[in-house]
Amino acid sequence: MRPGDSNRAINEMRKIENIRKISVVTGEYDIVIRVEVKTLDKLLDVTDKIQMIKGVNKTTTQVIEKEIAL
Amino acid sequence: MKIRKKYLFYALAFTSSIIAALLSGIDVILENYLKNPWVLGLSIFYFGVLMSFIFSLILSIPYKGKSLGARTIDPTFSRIRLLRKEELKYHLLAGAGNAILTVGYFALLIIIKDPSVVLPFSQLVILYLITIESVTEKNTPTLVEVQSSIIVTFGAILGSISLSGTISLEALAIVFLIINPGWVLLSINQRKLKMMKVDKKPNDAINIRLWNVTFACLFTAIFALTFDYYNGTNNFINAIYASINQFGWLILVGIGTFFSFVFYIRALGIGKASVTQAVKSSVIIFTIPVSIALAYFGFIDPITADPILILIKVMGIILMILGIVSFALTLIKAYIFIKMKPGYPIEETMQKLWGIHGVNRVTAVAGEYDFIIKVRTRTLVKGYERILQKIESIEGIKEYKWQSVLKEWEDI
Repeated sequence: MRPGDSNRAINEMRKIENIRKISVVTGEYDIVIRVEVKTLDKLLDVTDKIQMIKGVNKTTTQVIEKEIAL
Repeated sequence: MKIRKKYLFYALAFTSSIIAALLSGIDVILENYLKNPWVLGLSIFYFGVLMSFIFSLILSIPYKGKSLGARTIDPTFSRIRLLRKEELKYHLLAGAGNAILTVGYFALLIIIKDPSVVLPFSQLVILYLITIESVTEKNTPTLVEVQSSIIVTFGAILGSISLSGTISLEALAIVFLIINPGWVLLSINQRKLKMMKVDKKPNDAINIRLWNVTFACLFTAIFALTFDYYNGTNNFINAIYASINQFGWLILVGIGTFFSFVFYIRALGIGKASVTQAVKSSVIIFTIPVSIALAYFGFIDPITADPILILIKVMGIILMILGIVSFALTLIKAYIFIKMKPGYPIEETMQKLWGIHGVNRVTAVAGEYDFIIKVRTRTLVKGYERILQKIESIEGIKEYKWQSVLKEWEDI
């Protein structure tokens, strides 16, 4: 993220469909977003929309292959 | 719509307790007519099953591609469904817990009558939960957890001081040996059910409640029949008559309990069982106006206006709120992004990560990193000692990044 834009950017992200969770974090990254989609095509839609938001400098996508959760 | 996860959790838990407080008032009114815990418990469960079934059916109606239930109460709900084999064990245990809890609760209500006294004592269940979580959920309680649960407990004891009567030993025995263990059984198994995946989707609160009440009814009926058989009483039949005679009140209880539980289970899916229980213990605050109303209409003995008693009760409630707040505000969450060296088995590392205390999600991903894990801890020291040091000691890990969560939104 570019400093100064995060609040507005988060509000825009909250409107995007298929986003399940938005976490603001400290460390190398600024925001972690969890997305659930039916096809990779739809994933592209989401990443596209995120990258279109002003203030987003860089995104990296990790596709979940397997998960264990409580 | 996305709202802060924290608010959603509180909204759910508080709504559940307000409904529960109102219900306790209706329970007292019913108790005035039916003076037997078996008859009360059974007739309420008969209606509970009926009402839950009707509501689950209504909520299953699809509207613009999604069911009404998914739109309003729980987004993971699709429609009413049959029990899965893997759920059965937990449902049997949760149902038995609910049956024990309910009959115990009515036995207590018949002795004490005033709901603002009965309910605080049931809140002591938090101590049982903390202990059990420490044993089963790979989580040792921190100082904050121990402190907060002690504060909540003392608050509950002070808050339970009756404004009209006293507490009896018999009542205490029912609380500690019957009601609270029943709650623990119910609460833990319900959480397990909520955490389960059914047809690769998270389990939904509505079906869990429907099946829980069905099993609870079954167990109560079995217990009541056994009791009838050995004592020559006729509770099972009397409960059927009672459900016909007290139709109106029972329908209200059926509807109220269904929603109170659905909200509670949904909250359980978000927070830890002990924290959810802490928030839900706010029910004792809401029972005070209910008790005052009941006394006003003559269902329970009039409230004495002894200022010292009132002061102690208020102190108890303040303590409870303090305990609840410190419980909720001291949780630290973080994501840890992990890169592996080549040549180490993913599956094995995943299990090792999963075995670390405080890790509640392990995700194997494709991309720049190999794993993203989510951890929860009460203090950063604990996060370092119990989580990071363990991760460093796992063979094959090349690099990791700790990202503390500052704020979080979730889809509801």
